[in-house]
Amino acid sequence: MTNLIKNLPTEIKKNKLKTGIFLGLSAYWGIILVGTFLSLN
Amino acid sequence: MEVFLPIAEVSVNIIAIFSLSGIVGILSGLFGVGGGFLMTPFLIFLGVPPTYAVANEANNILATSVSGSTTHYLKNTLDYKMGLMIVVGGIFGTLLGIWTFTYFKGIGKIDIVISLAYMYILAIIGTAMLVEGLGEIDKARKKITTKKKLHVHYWIHGLPLRMRFPKSKLYESAFTPIIIGLMVGFIAAIMGIGGAFILVPAMIYIIGMPTRLIPGTSLFVTIFVSVIVTFLHAFNYGSIDLILVFMLVLGSIVGVQVGQKLGESVDSAGLKTLLAILLLLVGIAIAYDTFFAEQMINEVIKIDKNNLNPLSMFIKKLSEDMPILYGLFSIIFALTLGVAAAFIRRFFSNMRKKYYKKTN
Repeated sequence: MTNLIKNLPTEIKKNKLKTGIFLGLSAYWGIILVGTFLSLN
Repeated sequence: MEVFLPIAEVSVNIIAIFSLSGIVGILSGLFGVGGGFLMTPFLIFLGVPPTYAVANEANNILATSVSGSTTHYLKNTLDYKMGLMIVVGGIFGTLLGIWTFTYFKGIGKIDIVISLAYMYILAIIGTAMLVEGLGEIDKARKKITTKKKLHVHYWIHGLPLRMRFPKSKLYESAFTPIIIGLMVGFIAAIMGIGGAFILVPAMIYIIGMPTRLIPGTSLFVTIFVSVIVTFLHAFNYGSIDLILVFMLVLGSIVGVQVGQKLGESVDSAGLKTLLAILLLLVGIAIAYDTFFAEQMINEVIKIDKNNLNPLSMFIKKLSEDMPILYGLFSIIFALTLGVAAAFIRRFFSNMRKKYYKKTN
C-alpha cells in the first residue's frame, strides 16, 4: 500500500490516458449519482 | 417535415426518426445488439413521452427480431429448446415488469423511473465496454495473447432439473435459462428493450452456448418477450402508435442490413470503444434531461385532437375502442414487416450470388 502511494505520481505520469479515463469515468459516475440523490429528494 | 402521432399526441420530424433509427440499426448490425437501449432515449429526446417511447420501441424490436430470427431459421443457427426455456422465464419476468410499470405509473413516477433506469444501464454498459475495448486495444498494441477458460462453473449450474440441449451440446439445469429469461423479461417490460445486451453475454459466459447459435436464439427469445410487452402496453395503456412504429421499423431494418455488411470489414476493438463513448454520452444527455431540463419536456405543444387526418383518427379510434384487436394488429403488423424484410434480404442475397457466379 505504501509502495503504491509512493509510486502513484510516476504511474500517473506514465499512463496519462488511463488516468484521464479513470478521472473522467469517476466524474461521470459522480454526476449521475449526485443527480439521482438530489432528484429523489 | 413534421408528422403528428395520434396516440402519443406529439409531432415528430420524419427525417429525424428515419435517420436515427437507421443509425441505431447500423450500430445493431455492427455489434449484434438490438439497439433498443439507444433508440428509446433518442425518441425521448425527440419529444416522445417515455411511456410511449418504451411501448413503440418494443414493437419495433419485435419487427427487427422477427426479421433477424427468420434469417437464422433459414441458416439453421437456432436452438429452439434453449430458447423456449428462456422464454418461460421471460413470460414471468415480463408480467412482473408490467406490474412494476403499472405501480410506478400509478404513483406518477414512471417517467423518472424510465429515465433513471436508462441512465444507469447506459452508464454500466458504457463503462464496461470502454474498459474492455481499451484493454483489447492495449493488448493488441503490446501483442499480448491470453487464453480464456472454456466454461466457468457458477452456483447457477448446480441447480436441479438438469436436462440435455442437443443442439448446443449442453447438459445443465433448466433453471439457468429460466432465471436469465426472468431478468431479461423484467427489464424489457420496464425499458422497452429486447434485452440482448444481457441475454448475449449470459448465453456466452453463464449458459456456455456455442457462439454460432447465440444471435439466432437471442432473437428468437426477443420475439416472445417483445410480443408480450407490445400486447400488454397496447391493451393496458393504449400506447402503441402505428405511424411511429412504421417509421421506426423501416429505418432500423435498412440500417441493420447496412451494419451487418459494414461489420464484415472493420476493427471491432476500436468500434467497441467508440460505441462505449457514444453510450456514455447518451447517458449524460439523459442525466441532463432528467435533472435539469424537466420544464422543457413539460412544455411540448399538443395539437387539437379534432383536427386529425382520417388515418390518424382511425388509428386513435381503433386503439381506444378495441384495444385487444389493436394490440393483435400491431403485433401482426410488426411480424409481417419483419418476415418480409428477411425474405427480401434473402432474395437480394441469392440474386447477388447468381450474379457473382455468372461473372466468375
